[in-house]
Amino acid sequence: MSKILLVEDDSHQQLLYQEELSAEGYEVFCASTGKEAIEQAEKVQPDLVVMDISMPGMDGIEAMGRILGQDNKIPVILNTAYASYKDNFMSWSADAYVIKSSDLTELKTTISKVLGQPKGDKE
Amino acid sequence: MDPSELKSVLAIVMAGGQGERLYPLSKERAKPAVPFGGIYRIIDFTLSNCVNSGVRRVYVLTQYRSISLQRHINLAWNKLRYEFGEFICTVPPQKRNVEHWYLGTADAIFQNIYTLEVERPERVLILSGDHVYRMDYSHMIRTHQDNKAELTVACMEVDRESARRFGVMQVDDNHRVIGFWEKPNDPPTLPGKPDRCLVSMGVYLFETPVLVRRTIEDSKRDTAHDFGKNIIPEMVDANRVFAFPFQAPEGEVAYWRDIGTLDAYWEANMDLTHVTPSFNLYDRNWPVHTYHAGHPPAKTVFNEDDPDGRVGTAIDSLISAGCIISGGRVENSILSPRVRIESHAHVTESVLFDGVVIGKGCRVHRTIIDKNIIVPDGAIIGMDREQDSSKFTVTPGGITIIPKSMPLTEMAAV
Repeated sequence: MSKILLVEDDSHQQLLYQEELSAEGYEVFCASTGKEAIEQAEKVQPDLVVMDISMPGMDGIEAMGRILGQDNKIPVILNTAYASYKDNFMSWSADAYVIKSSDLTELKTTISKVLGQPKGDKE
Repeated sequence: MDPSELKSVLAIVMAGGQGERLYPLSKERAKPAVPFGGIYRIIDFTLSNCVNSGVRRVYVLTQYRSISLQRHINLAWNKLRYEFGEFICTVPPQKRNVEHWYLGTADAIFQNIYTLEVERPERVLILSGDHVYRMDYSHMIRTHQDNKAELTVACMEVDRESARRFGVMQVDDNHRVIGFWEKPNDPPTLPGKPDRCLVSMGVYLFETPVLVRRTIEDSKRDTAHDFGKNIIPEMVDANRVFAFPFQAPEGEVAYWRDIGTLDAYWEANMDLTHVTPSFNLYDRNWPVHTYHAGHPPAKTVFNEDDPDGRVGTAIDSLISAGCIISGGRVENSILSPRVRIESHAHVTESVLFDGVVIGKGCRVHRTIIDKNIIVPDGAIIGMDREQDSSKFTVTPGGITIIPKSMPLTEMAAV
């Protein structure tokens, strides 16, 4: 079972994503802040991170950078309501960029696509 | 060239290498900060190229032993005005996301993507801080644009034997790069020239988005994180990569030196003492800038008539400000500021750094002496390889190096 670390500061959305992704057969771990995400990533060693960008305190782009600094092979999907971050070079470290929508089909397809990809040279 | 096109270029100068090959001159300073040609530091040549080419947004990435480099850049290169969009700025490793130092040239860029995000240049010119050459980058930038290139690599022809030390490329008739190998044992030669190869000068012009994507991809792999070993060879098949043949201004020899060894360093300095040196420091259209500390003019004193008399002379030499040649003789040498040559001392084919004192009656030959070293009266250096080797570094080419802070007071006076 693939482990997904879900980083989302909005508790309602976090619950929704967690239920939907668990129903897809993933083991879902949650973090509500960037700092928590970094700690969780080290502890849980997820197969994939779904990362919100706009969060109080450390934003998702910085948290992604630090998580990749610990393990450069973890795939990250940025999952945000804003398309504008897409131009930010710092966001290009992500394997995919998904604009939030009430319909989670795109996120789910992207997750399975990214998990299906070989992860760098080690694989 | 349209000035706005040059403004859209950000230069990044790599100045963070260990500089092991120039040890012990790099013992207490980064290689780009090693003095050269009397008054310069090696990095002054690259930064002068930038400024003279109109590329005036420059970051210098520092790392090891950077104090002297940092100080030099602060003193010598605070000439540009930030409010006009021009700057030369040093950047030590930020360690934003990682705990390690730069793993390679590509990693140095990857760790500074934030800087690119802040500046948002259209193109990035990647330069090395430890080469001595004269190049107008605006020609390369124009050719890059004409070719609609994603990467342009400056190159020059060298003989096959030397090519093994560099990145070697193969190009088609339009200068498009069709193969790139870093330090190959068996370098491919140029068509019709079985002994000549095209080598990379370590000068790269990237379209920024391509540079960002490529360095990010590289950061996720277990590679050497190096432009020559990883990024460029991978781009050859997938991107528009072009070679830019480095050319000298009309009537001059194309001059480019990777000061890779102590012998090469000594030779490049010696070249400056020739009547017509390969590198012309005196071209007012291409000034090499540096820091001038406001020393008094160089002075030679004593011209005594008797056979044992003191005569202060310098021939075929570069004598910097603040030097006093006090009854000694200097030939084919480079004297940095504030060097003092005492009576009856004889210095030949040597490079003396800032503040060196050569005592009375000394004999100094084919020697590089680091900053503030006081050579005691009567000392003989560079005349007996075996004797020198027991105390100092002696290069394969037979050049003696006296490193910084070495006390010479116990040297046997003759």
